[in-house]
Amino acid sequence: MKLQVAADWVEAPLKAFVDDARAEIAVLMHPSGQVLGQTGFTRSVDVQTACALGAAIYASAGELGRQMQGKPFGVMHYAGQEKQIFLAPVPIEGGTLLLLSVFGEESSLGLVQLFFQDFQRAAARVAPQWKGAETALAGDFEAELNKNLAAMFGRG
Amino acid sequence: MSTPFSGILAGLIRHRGVKGCLVVGERDGLIVDSTVQFGVNPQTFAALTASLFRKARRAAQAAGFGDATFVQLEAEQGRVCAVGRGDLVLVVVAEPRVNLGLVRVDMLKATEALS
Repeated sequence: MKLQVAADWVEAPLKAFVDDARAEIAVLMHPSGQVLGQTGFTRSVDVQTACALGAAIYASAGELGRQMQGKPFGVMHYAGQEKQIFLAPVPIEGGTLLLLSVFGEESSLGLVQLFFQDFQRAAARVAPQWKGAETALAGDFEAELNKNLAAMFGRG
Repeated sequence: MSTPFSGILAGLIRHRGVKGCLVVGERDGLIVDSTVQFGVNPQTFAALTASLFRKARRAAQAAGFGDATFVQLEAEQGRVCAVGRGDLVLVVVAEPRVNLGLVRVDMLKATEALS
């Protein structure tokens, strides 16, 4: 599977996660929906959609968790009939990223959880400090998003 | 907390040389119940063993041998045995000196209770 990244540091940990956990799709993003790397999608519009939905789900679940237990929910897992979705926060210095992963019969929740822990550790080690507030609230969100998608899919 | 599998696990852990036994979901690799006396993360072990058993089962089916009934892994310092039924896998971790025949019989008996 082809791995596409908008930031070089993403490549090694994301590739290791996808290979080890047998994930069919993996997308690393900012909670704002900005994509940092992905594998499994072939069209940029699908990545955009996945990021927007993943960020929205995480935000909604976070708020629901705050309402119900005073703190946001962490990892989310949905088991479909054939595919399963795993969405989890990846703490790095200065902020949190999100990993959205889709897996099927070749993997399991236990394996994904196991190798996600490795991914978290690797990302925390190699990720540069993230200026989260600037990225999330920047006026040029769309330009940043397009820049990242262009870096990954090779067009502006 | 007692589960329907607590009795099975309590019986298996009494065998000399058995260091741990777990009931694990085959599809998700998550622990349903366990009794472990070894120094590894049981979640990690369960996820990997369930994956191993699933692949062994599929390999047996692909070879036309039917369902895998008993899977054994021999390593330098121990053995991992697994039996499965339905969506559950019963896993035993043991030292090399374990009476494997006895453990195997008890594990196969226990599969009745897994479904």
